[in-house]
Amino acid sequence: MVYLVLALVAGLAAVERKGFLQAMLSRPITLAPIAGWALGDLQGGLLVAAPLELFWLGAVNLGAALPVHEALGTAAIAGGAVLAGRALGTGTSPEVAILAVLICAPLALVGRKADRLVEAWNERLALRAEAQLAHHHAGAAVRANLYGLLLPFGIAAVLAPVGAAAAEVAIPAVLRGIPGAAGPLRVGFFAFAAFACASGAKALRARSARALFFIAFGVAAAAAAAFGRFRP
Amino acid sequence: MRAPAGATPPPRVPPGTLRRVFWRCLFLQAAWNRRGMQNLGFAYAIEPALRALHPDPARREEALGRHLQFFNCHPYMAAAIVGGAIHHEEKVAAGVEPPSQPLLYKQTLQGPFAAVGDGFFWTALRPFFGALAAVGALLFGWAAIVAILIFYNAIHLALRIRLFRAGYEKGDAVVAEIARLGLPVAADRLRGAGAALCGVAAAVIVARSAALAGLAAGALAAVAAALGYAALARGARLLPTAYAAALFGAAAAAVVGSFHGSR
Repeated sequence: MVYLVLALVAGLAAVERKGFLQAMLSRPITLAPIAGWALGDLQGGLLVAAPLELFWLGAVNLGAALPVHEALGTAAIAGGAVLAGRALGTGTSPEVAILAVLICAPLALVGRKADRLVEAWNERLALRAEAQLAHHHAGAAVRANLYGLLLPFGIAAVLAPVGAAAAEVAIPAVLRGIPGAAGPLRVGFFAFAAFACASGAKALRARSARALFFIAFGVAAAAAAAFGRFRP
Repeated sequence: MRAPAGATPPPRVPPGTLRRVFWRCLFLQAAWNRRGMQNLGFAYAIEPALRALHPDPARREEALGRHLQFFNCHPYMAAAIVGGAIHHEEKVAAGVEPPSQPLLYKQTLQGPFAAVGDGFFWTALRPFFGALAAVGALLFGWAAIVAILIFYNAIHLALRIRLFRAGYEKGDAVVAEIARLGLPVAADRLRGAGAALCGVAAAVIVARSAALAGLAAGALAAVAAALGYAALARGARLLPTAYAAALFGAAAAAVVGSFHGSR
């Protein structure tokens, strides 16, 4: 049942990402908490939401260029982290989350390859629409547009649960097999999250991005040290 | 000049049909393909308007065929072109413009509008809100994400509706309307603000890391951010660098832990 829920969430996100609306509902910052909530662990989804959003901040659809499939990657990572945390009985912790990232992030690249298949499928739909219009079936010709939503939905709905299932099996095995790994992996999660912030700043391509990033970092870090805020 | 008595008024698309076209604009990229790009989406969006304007099936099919030709634009900015294409189709239906005019309008504006839309929405407004939501989520949890998402979509949908209306009501004059919005200047500011927000997010993560796993962990996270930025600036690929950052943090923590353990 959890896999069906994750499939539905991932499929709808893949549709919203390009085919319909584009209202940030498929961005990691929204999708990860939704996936976590749908699987019964909102906090687990929230743990990975901000790092993944910043990590894939530059994943945008410019012209005909295909970005990585950040929605597919996010659904698999959030789903995998939540399910693995549940299998371990610990909930979604940083060490579980970083392993989910390491296992499932490459799915975003697989998703980009799958997007090429989607484009080829859509090209056939467009050709068929032209043929239908030539045969005076105008209604059928324009309706073909909506069939373009099916393949992105299907691909994400299959691949995200597969990635999450792999994480659900592998993560408990790693953490139970190497009990001392949890502490270093926890630090690895924070190192990844901090790197993701740098990746976000770099992706913004502002003229003075580097200076703004490091100045804001310094000021906020000093404020945190002075006032002791930003604790979880 | 007054129309002669008994003359048919120029055909207009009813408001309900315009709303339907706008709704269908949201599916513009449903069947994006390399050959015609958003051609099928454009034809799907404008079809209700063509049905209202061309009761004769042969003329309607001819009009639909025009809009099945190549089209590609930013999905938000395309609302202005769909509106403008209806503006011209009304004139074609009234017989005051040749049927080639809507196509010419689309061909002229799609490139410049795509550049403006990509530059403002995709590389400035949305990443800025993404970074803002990330900082909000780190500090205040899911409620911040919901609030920021509502704010983003209020802006995004208001602009999309305004562009559609401007295109429909003003036709070619929509260019001046878009120029008035000053999007490129706003984009520069949003990108800068977004980069600063990423810096704030990094500080929150470093502080949290130090609070949860010790000062050394916080320092390692800060180093990962600094080295990661330097690596990306030198052209390093994103995913391998992310793996390196995570493994660097974990390995360094293991080494530090082993020193502590050996004392």
